[in-house]
Amino acid sequence: MPAFDAEERKLIHDSATEFFADRYGPERSLALTRDAGPDGFGRAEWKSYAELGWLGLMLPEAAGGSEGGLTEAAILFAAAGGQLAAEPLIPCLVLGAGAVTALGTEAQQGALDGVAEGEKILGFLHYEPGSGYARDHVETIARPTAGGYALTGDKAFSLGAHAADLLAVSARIGGPDGPVGLFLVPGDAAGLHRVPAPAMDGRRGAAASLDGVQVAADALLGGTTDDRLAAIDRLIDRASLATCADMLGAMTRAAEITTDYLKTREQFGQKLASFQVLQHRLVDMRICCEETRAAIHAALNAEDAGAPDAALMAWRAKTVTAQGARFVGGQGVQLHGGMGMTDDLGIGHYYKRLSVGEAMFGDADWHLDRIAAGAPAGETARAAPEPVGA
Amino acid sequence: MFITAAAPRDPELESFRQEIRAFCKAEIGPELQKIIDAGQHIPKDMHDAWLKALGRKGWLTGHWAKEHGGLGWTAEQSAVFRDETDGAGAPWLTPFGVTMVGPVIYTFGTPEQKERHLPGIRNNDVWWCQGYSEPGSGSDLASLKTRAVRDGDHYVVNGQKIWTTLAHWADWIFCLVRTDPDAKKQQGISFLLIDMKTPGITVRPLITLDLGHHLNEVFFEDVRVPVENLIGEENKGWDYAKFLLAHERVGVAEIGKFNRYLSQLRKLLDDTREGGRPLSQDPAFRRRIVELETRLSTLKAMHADALAQGTPGLISAAALKIRGSELQQAILQTMTDVLGRHGLAYQADALMAGWNGELVGPQESAGILAEHLHRRAATIYGGSSEIQRNIIAKGALGL
Repeated sequence: MPAFDAEERKLIHDSATEFFADRYGPERSLALTRDAGPDGFGRAEWKSYAELGWLGLMLPEAAGGSEGGLTEAAILFAAAGGQLAAEPLIPCLVLGAGAVTALGTEAQQGALDGVAEGEKILGFLHYEPGSGYARDHVETIARPTAGGYALTGDKAFSLGAHAADLLAVSARIGGPDGPVGLFLVPGDAAGLHRVPAPAMDGRRGAAASLDGVQVAADALLGGTTDDRLAAIDRLIDRASLATCADMLGAMTRAAEITTDYLKTREQFGQKLASFQVLQHRLVDMRICCEETRAAIHAALNAEDAGAPDAALMAWRAKTVTAQGARFVGGQGVQLHGGMGMTDDLGIGHYYKRLSVGEAMFGDADWHLDRIAAGAPAGETARAAPEPVGA
Repeated sequence: MFITAAAPRDPELESFRQEIRAFCKAEIGPELQKIIDAGQHIPKDMHDAWLKALGRKGWLTGHWAKEHGGLGWTAEQSAVFRDETDGAGAPWLTPFGVTMVGPVIYTFGTPEQKERHLPGIRNNDVWWCQGYSEPGSGSDLASLKTRAVRDGDHYVVNGQKIWTTLAHWADWIFCLVRTDPDAKKQQGISFLLIDMKTPGITVRPLITLDLGHHLNEVFFEDVRVPVENLIGEENKGWDYAKFLLAHERVGVAEIGKFNRYLSQLRKLLDDTREGGRPLSQDPAFRRRIVELETRLSTLKAMHADALAQGTPGLISAAALKIRGSELQQAILQTMTDVLGRHGLAYQADALMAGWNGELVGPQESAGILAEHLHRRAATIYGGSSEIQRNIIAKGALGL
């Protein structure tokens, strides 16, 4: 049974679409991401998301949430992507909060307090300079100490990590052959050095280095030293699928904007939209959107039903979405001609948003390789010492 | 046409190639090299110094006939020269003077115009820019609306140009203007040379996807241009423009750059690890590199064939433009795919020489991503891929 029925989903869809169309869009996105301040997104928007109940969509009831599935959140992400919203919704809700919900002990669920209210932003640092898209390559070490662990290592650039109050950080427990755990690390922890930077589309994130960051024993999510790579893999699949929804929103708008532009732009005494070669291009863009939506729907259904092929369907969805995004984004710019190259016009920002989305959590080729290879990565559990004095 | 004969390799061309290579090595100082390696924006003074050094060798206009002060290079020699300077990552051989307006002036200009303008082009004392496109006239260039009205010894120019590369550096602009609004599209156009310091000209930056400032809008408000700056005959400007566009289309491919991109890509693959192993060991990327190299080799062969024809035919010029721009984007996309492994951070500020912030990801990533974004226009500028296909369809296939 889905947590939300069809009518409730439509309500989320309608209110989110209306909100982002009214309050957001490329101009607002640009103003926020280019702002010289440390955030690069809208705190006021974040507050509104909280008031509308969106930040709690997937959270447990105990954390003030409404226990929806990824489908409900994806409806929101697609609307946000359609207007280039710059807030770190996916890193916070799917990855950060998702990690705590999935792995946290009862006591650790307290880390979710304040998320639904928009008072606390969670983040996620897993990929590393040496990992590429591989999800089972972790070099960061959590060395057991008297009171807990000391984390040391480097983490790759990750959207939203610059602004997170609390981050779930992966590390191998005990040494390079230890099991991988996820640790809750406050954003202002001593020894955590974040290097903020914009992504290609202007949304902000950070790379990070950890130099002996001290955390208490209860910072280890789940409380035991079981290897969590499989859980991390599933979390990233969910974030990847959420990103597909964001990209579908952006892709659909990019195709619409381009179609509208060709209906008004005249060259050689006629509308560009009257040339058959360009009509067919617009049609192909639209078809990409349709098949992307279908692939995402299929993957969301599998995910929220806990179907055995949920991971496979998520990989397929990312493949289809990334390929469609490359075509739609590229042709969106191409068909706008020189105008498409300008920072002033929206279409270029959609192109960049789609490029970043393609790369997040693995591109089409990587996912195809993954499907070809078969088994989910990181199944090997490893033994590790218990933290000293835990 | 079936097989005729491929152009044989010329040993003399090889020694010419070595000479240019040695010159680039000697002339690009450490400061400029650092900027090139980081893919940063090259400041105007360094760019200017480089072009002047080429000018002193006569190489800037080596492709001009000797009677115009050139070295009378063959098309093959010119190609080798561009190949080598582009391949060294040297500052862009801005074509506006030496390849565009220069040949127009020495072909259609008066003796006074030649004397006045050609020396400054040969030694790069004067920076030129091109005033062709307008907001309403992109692919359909002949629909341009900027007006020039004769008033005594002057033309009074009003209107707007767009996509004007380096207008913010230029001393002069060559413009297509409408002198007869009643004539059929192509027939009322004239070709004017305009001093950028003339009152009434405003240059406004156009920031592109890479967040760089390469392009501009140029506004003309009652700009008075002496009639002696008209090239050739009034209302014949379209003929000169067509002559010039033919020059541009063979030249836009910038094949020399592609070798450079490919070595950057190889380095990036060596430096980027996936699951702890360098991506250069990944069979899929090895295959992609080989495919890109094969496409480049074929493009070079097409180019050589086109040069061997003397004046390149319609199909070769348009096909070179299409395939060249597609390959350029494919290589840059592959580099971007690699940088996806680093999260696709893009620090555009790092492209300013002297930036000393903290880098995220590989050192060259900002330069590569800027180039990737900037070259999305490669299939748009100089006649879009769609227009090139129209040229072949109409001009060569009789469709």
